Amino acid sequence: MTATNGAPGTERVERSGAPLVRVRGVWKIFGPHPERLRGSDDLDLPRGELLAKTGCTIASRDITFDVGRGEVFVIMGLSGSGKSTLVRCITRLVEPTAGDISIGGQDVLGADARTLRELRRTKIAMVFQHFGLFPHRTAIDNVAYGLEVQGVARATRHQRAREILGVVGLSGVENAYPDQLSGGMQQRVGLARALAVDPEVLIFDEAFSALDPLIRREMQDEVLRLQERLQKSVLFVTHDLDEALKIGDRIAIMKDGRFVQVGTPAEIVGAPADDYVREFVRDVPRGKVLTASFAVQPHAGEAPESTVRHDARLGELLPVVFGVQGPIGVVGADDELVGILDRRMVVHILAGREGGTVPEEPAGTPGAA
Amino acid sequence: MSSAAGSVAPLGGIRLRVAGRYTTSLAAGVLVCVAGVAASGFHTGFPRRWVLGAGAPNWFDRLDSWVTNNQSSNFFLHTIVGGFSNFLNGTTNDVVSALHWLTWVGVLVIATLLAWLVGRWRTAAFSALMVASFGVLQIPNGGPNGIADMWSSAMTTLALMAVAIVISTIVGIPLGVAAAVWTPVSKTLRPVLDMMQILPAFAYLVPIVVLFSIGNPAGIVATVIYAVPPLVRFTEVGIRTVRRDVIEAAESFGATRRQVLRDVQLPLAAQAILLGLNQVIMMALSIVVIASLVGAGGLGDPVLQALQTQQIGMGAVAGVLIVFMAMWLDRTSGAVGRSRGRAAVAAGRRRLGRRELLAVWAGVLAVVLVSHYGLGLGDWPAGWGFSVVDQVTNGLNWVTTQLAGVSASLSSFLTLQVLNPLQRFLGDFPWWLLAGIVAAAGWLRGGPRRALLLAGCVALLGLMQAPAGYTFQGTTSYDFTAWGDAMQTLSLVIVALALDLVIGIPLGIAAYRWRAVDQALRPILDLLQTLPAFVYLIPVVALFGVGNLAGVTASLVYALPAAVRATTLGLRAVQRDVIEAGQAFGSTRWQLLRKVELPIARPYIGLAVNQTILLVMAEVVVAGLVGAGGLGLDVVTGFSRSEVGLGAAAGLAMVLMGIVLDRLSQSNQTIGGRRE
Repeated sequence: MTATNGAPGTERVERSGAPLVRVRGVWKIFGPHPERLRGSDDLDLPRGELLAKTGCTIASRDITFDVGRGEVFVIMGLSGSGKSTLVRCITRLVEPTAGDISIGGQDVLGADARTLRELRRTKIAMVFQHFGLFPHRTAIDNVAYGLEVQGVARATRHQRAREILGVVGLSGVENAYPDQLSGGMQQRVGLARALAVDPEVLIFDEAFSALDPLIRREMQDEVLRLQERLQKSVLFVTHDLDEALKIGDRIAIMKDGRFVQVGTPAEIVGAPADDYVREFVRDVPRGKVLTASFAVQPHAGEAPESTVRHDARLGELLPVVFGVQGPIGVVGADDELVGILDRRMVVHILAGREGGTVPEEPAGTPGAA
Repeated sequence: MSSAAGSVAPLGGIRLRVAGRYTTSLAAGVLVCVAGVAASGFHTGFPRRWVLGAGAPNWFDRLDSWVTNNQSSNFFLHTIVGGFSNFLNGTTNDVVSALHWLTWVGVLVIATLLAWLVGRWRTAAFSALMVASFGVLQIPNGGPNGIADMWSSAMTTLALMAVAIVISTIVGIPLGVAAAVWTPVSKTLRPVLDMMQILPAFAYLVPIVVLFSIGNPAGIVATVIYAVPPLVRFTEVGIRTVRRDVIEAAESFGATRRQVLRDVQLPLAAQAILLGLNQVIMMALSIVVIASLVGAGGLGDPVLQALQTQQIGMGAVAGVLIVFMAMWLDRTSGAVGRSRGRAAVAAGRRRLGRRELLAVWAGVLAVVLVSHYGLGLGDWPAGWGFSVVDQVTNGLNWVTTQLAGVSASLSSFLTLQVLNPLQRFLGDFPWWLLAGIVAAAGWLRGGPRRALLLAGCVALLGLMQAPAGYTFQGTTSYDFTAWGDAMQTLSLVIVALALDLVIGIPLGIAAYRWRAVDQALRPILDLLQTLPAFVYLIPVVALFGVGNLAGVTASLVYALPAAVRATTLGLRAVQRDVIEAGQAFGSTRWQLLRKVELPIARPYIGLAVNQTILLVMAEVVVAGLVGAGGLGLDVVTGFSRSEVGLGAAAGLAMVLMGIVLDRLSQSNQTIGGRRE
């Protein structure tokens, strides 16, 4: 895992070369004459006052982030925080007011209609909250739709669609109409439809919010399984923190159109940037998210009696913490000793008394290689 | 400025609502004052000497003679109107010939087969029965046994409708698509369509005759004007209400605008468009029969003759045939909408493959060829049928005699106690006061612009009457007092509307409340809503004779389904959890209705009032045919005396009245701010 310092996500060191999705300073303002707001003090007004004064609502404020190849980037926020609008700006289903977006080096905002269409046809695919399936088309024709608009011949696209339906576990329902399928199956069709065009970027817009918890978990596992295999760049929008923590390589917490914090799940939970995030993550079972690197103190030369990995979950360390008498070492990715495990801190964190006891910065910056 | 207005709007809404609460008492108060004023000898009405120019009948007479004089020289009249008229005439004749060429066997087989393809066996059998009735139910005429079938009339009506519907579709669907795709088109069309839907067909029959003269083309044009608006609306709404995320999904895969329209929006709107088409067919039938007034042939003709010559038995039989045609067309075209989509497939209905279809149609062709050439068949065989006209006449006579006492006293009560005083009151009502009241009510409902529009309409209504005893080209014409006639029409409208609301709203509530009532009412309302306006006149004339009572009754019955249905619909739209919340607090059934359901359904009930007014007005003027007074009678008189000016002026007066009644009864806050 890679990390940032909780600041906007651009400082991240990419896994492989340039980021695939590059978003810089994107604004989306709904309402009349958004250009008049540029540089005006009104931008700092609270939502209601701004609306009363100018008739405008700001959905995205100066959003900047990158998504690397094979990375799952989660945008998390409550309803009305602007997350769905933001992902729509990326493919210009909603036209951004200002900013700079590129996908695989291709400028999105400057693209003409044809280029944009080409981009949507081949590079990006989207999975929708209420599935967005075409009710008048069978499952297979839904899945084949992306290829159909590209002009792929019927036989070819049906073969491909059948394959993909198999991949998402839906063989045999090719000729069913959406309303004959359960919610979970419908969203599998939605997922298959997105995968069928073999896009570089997949966007999930609250894709699993409408499903019941069991099916939701099943779909999350499905995405993780497919991601293991396909290594797409994924932009995942959700309002469910558990889902964000489970799926995301990095998470952006969004509020009132702004990114409040961007970081790995552990960073979000272990070092919330402000009270808003802190309130959010308060009930997260920390032992399952936080790693040993959150409870490291510098070692004073004593020889550790036992060692744990820096990315071991704290919850799993309890047997060691209570079973070993002497100092416990924490080792980094290359088995080098980075410090000594602070037992008190482990207990504090697990007890939920994070407050001031956890250091502002985690002692180790895990995996910064 | 604009942003300031935006922020003030909610306040304005609150003010309006507060005002709305007092509207009723305010209006009542004003009315009482005014009654006093009027009773104390303020007999004014609209001054007869105030006439705009030479008066409306004169304008139209001049226009008519200008058209007559320039028919052959003016490019527009000669080439465009004349050419179109010839085209319509030619096409209609071709279709009529084609229907005759098919022979009665062919028509019967094709009608049955079409019904079977889109529906079930029952639909097919029903269609066969209805079509056969055109031949079987006969009327006394110069036929071999003294009776003759109406097959030929029915075929003419079908041909007129076919032409009108094809033209409506060619105009309506593209317009609807354009309105759905380009908002400016929608904004431009909306007031025009609104206007077209307010107008009673009677209002534009005369102007059409001025341009197209008497005959089938005039009938077709009237039908198209009447039938196009709903098709445009249904198409636009159908396309616009396709779920946003489904369209977005298509866009996100890079579909072009055309691909989105073709792959997603049109297929998903198909149901709505077919529903619109079903409406178009029913509306077309309704006007095609009225259009016999402008010389269009078909089944409307015997009804018109029967009404004019008081041969009610014959009218009733012809009317029944129109009803049968309506039910046949409604079932078949309604089944098209239902047969599409997967519900039908899931229900085990099998669609024929292309090859099977081809075989079936080849079979039909063979049947037609054999009947036409082999058997030499043509129209319905003369002897295959019977006349029930005498029985019907006797039956009606018997009923009339039985009811004579009741209907006579009802008639005299209504005329002497209700209509006459109301007419006198309205006729003598100071026009400026009426304009003021209408403007004030308009202001409350839609702001200053509506107030101005309404006051303008009222004033114009008065100003356009004819100068007393005006002459045109040497002949003294019918005396036209637009104001007095409009007030007469208004009094009929008021009485029918009041009865409709008093009967309709409770019925609507009852249908909502008790399933049994709903189930009992449904087929009746269905039938009433399928019937063309024309047909209602026959039974009421049989029962009450010609006159105002017949007019009020026909209008009452014609508009009743709308009042009942909109009320039920509004109550059904109340959300389940809101009702549960009411129940949870221990409301009685009555409290729930009064405090929760009815207030929430109010916009719908407002809509019911609006719809009922427009329907009542439409039927009140058609009832001019059976002697109900006012503007409708002016149109009828205009036709029977060939006084174009009179008929057209009365039509224009109807337009003004229609606008006033519609805008008064329609508030800005109807459901979603839009009327459908």
